[in-house]
Amino acid sequence: MKLNELRYIVAESISMIARRKLSTSVSVIIMGLSLLILLVFIIITLNISNFIDKATEELRVYVYLDNDLSDRDREALQFKILGMKWVEEVVFVSREEALEKFKKTLGENSDILEDLQSNPLPDAYRIRMKPQYIKSEVMERMAEQVGKLPGVEDVRYGKRWLRRGEKIIRGFYLADLFVGLIIFLSVVFVVSNTVRLTVFSREKTIDVMKLVGATNTYIRTPFVIEGALQSAAASLIAAVLAYILFVAASHYLKGIVFLDGSAIGVFVAFCALLGAGGSFFAMRRFLKA
Amino acid sequence: MKRESSFDEKRIIVGVYHLSKSFGRHFALHDINLQVANGEFVFLVGPSGAGKSTLLRMIYMDDFPTSGQVVVGQFVSTRMRRKTIPQLRRRIGIVFQDFRLLEDRTVFENIALAMKITGASMGEIKRQVTEILTRVGLYHKRYEYPNALSGGEQQRVAIARAVANRPSVLLADEPTGNLDPVVTRSILELLFKINAGGTAVLMATHDLDLVKSFGQRIIYLENGSIVRDKEMIFIGDLREKIEGSKVSEEARKLKEHGITDDEEE
Repeated sequence: MKLNELRYIVAESISMIARRKLSTSVSVIIMGLSLLILLVFIIITLNISNFIDKATEELRVYVYLDNDLSDRDREALQFKILGMKWVEEVVFVSREEALEKFKKTLGENSDILEDLQSNPLPDAYRIRMKPQYIKSEVMERMAEQVGKLPGVEDVRYGKRWLRRGEKIIRGFYLADLFVGLIIFLSVVFVVSNTVRLTVFSREKTIDVMKLVGATNTYIRTPFVIEGALQSAAASLIAAVLAYILFVAASHYLKGIVFLDGSAIGVFVAFCALLGAGGSFFAMRRFLKA
Repeated sequence: MKRESSFDEKRIIVGVYHLSKSFGRHFALHDINLQVANGEFVFLVGPSGAGKSTLLRMIYMDDFPTSGQVVVGQFVSTRMRRKTIPQLRRRIGIVFQDFRLLEDRTVFENIALAMKITGASMGEIKRQVTEILTRVGLYHKRYEYPNALSGGEQQRVAIARAVANRPSVLLADEPTGNLDPVVTRSILELLFKINAGGTAVLMATHDLDLVKSFGQRIIYLENGSIVRDKEMIFIGDLREKIEGSKVSEEARKLKEHGITDDEEE
């Protein structure tokens, strides 16, 4: 390709957008709004999943110890537990501490404990799991193994709650994925069709260019560039609008997060590709003949 | 540029050999044979639906024959690849009844487009477009948009665009179909002028009355077949007489004589 040709192609792309300011801006706005829906959905999903992760990480396993355990046996037990691959951290909670905490939780009603002759609570280890192992099956296996260790009275971690929670979370993710897929497909549809319409509305330009002997590359490139630029602009608009919504929402929902820069970058790049691809495929039918 | 004496030096610029074209079972063109020499001017006459446009499309290779072949310069329809079509289109100019100008570009840009796609330099484009626009008498309207022009002016721009790359042949499909008689006449004169510059012209029209008086070769097409193709006797340099004025009565008579001679053969 000659240098001149390349220059004309670039100039053609720019003037193509400039010539049709109104229809270009209408397309960009339509695409921008549908991309906004996708973006908002992604951000909501991201925050819910963050919340779920944090909540599950809070989960602790309590290992209650026999009352007559010697300090040496206790330490040996602690090492054994720490040696397990699932375990992140083991903290000893003495029965006194446990009682104090219990009193605190009871608050005003703590006077019911006044009648106690002795502390009924056992010593315990509080285990923090590595996050990737917080799953019913793993936890059950671990509870079983720890339960068999000498000096262990009982292992508790809210087995039923975990199971139920997992079911709900799995259900949520499945529904989220489903809805996400539908939104994603509609956005792909809207963007590629908006870009297609742009191409179709210039059928005459394409015909004339073919008539005077323009190569397919010469005809197509401006359309592909235009499609990419339009969609990239739309995705940027969507990102800005989503950020405004985010700022407004974060007044009410503390701790929510927005996508980071690189994620936005990927989003914009993806949209540009989508627009370019949409143009490219829309052109095919005019360039074949 | 001097017009080549096309009848001495019979170099064929467009050759159509045993061309048939069918759409489904329907034959649009049947066993067409014709040749257009370099610098020749040929009218392709026939009623609507005779296959004139289809034949022209085969020549600029927007469509391809069912059988037979078309040769334009070094381009052969049976050996054509999609990638070489643009090269062919740059060697021929094409004009239509509906002008096919781009409404969102000025007159200048419309013509420049044909050159830009070849990668010509901007200087070259400016020079050439200025020259052509002057030739078709529309230089003063170079910054106008097609919508602001009359039909005749638009067709002049379309012709200017068609010849921007100095094609060896100009194809015109009913170029005067949308124009009144006076403007039609002026468009024809412009085509003669371009032909005088050495470009072969093949013009399709349904209007025999319009073209029979000029003494050019007329090919009659009916129901997809050529029913008559007579090369008329060429008298002097007719184009010079036509240029800027009307065909002289004398020339016309002589031409009519020519037709009669031909028919007696």
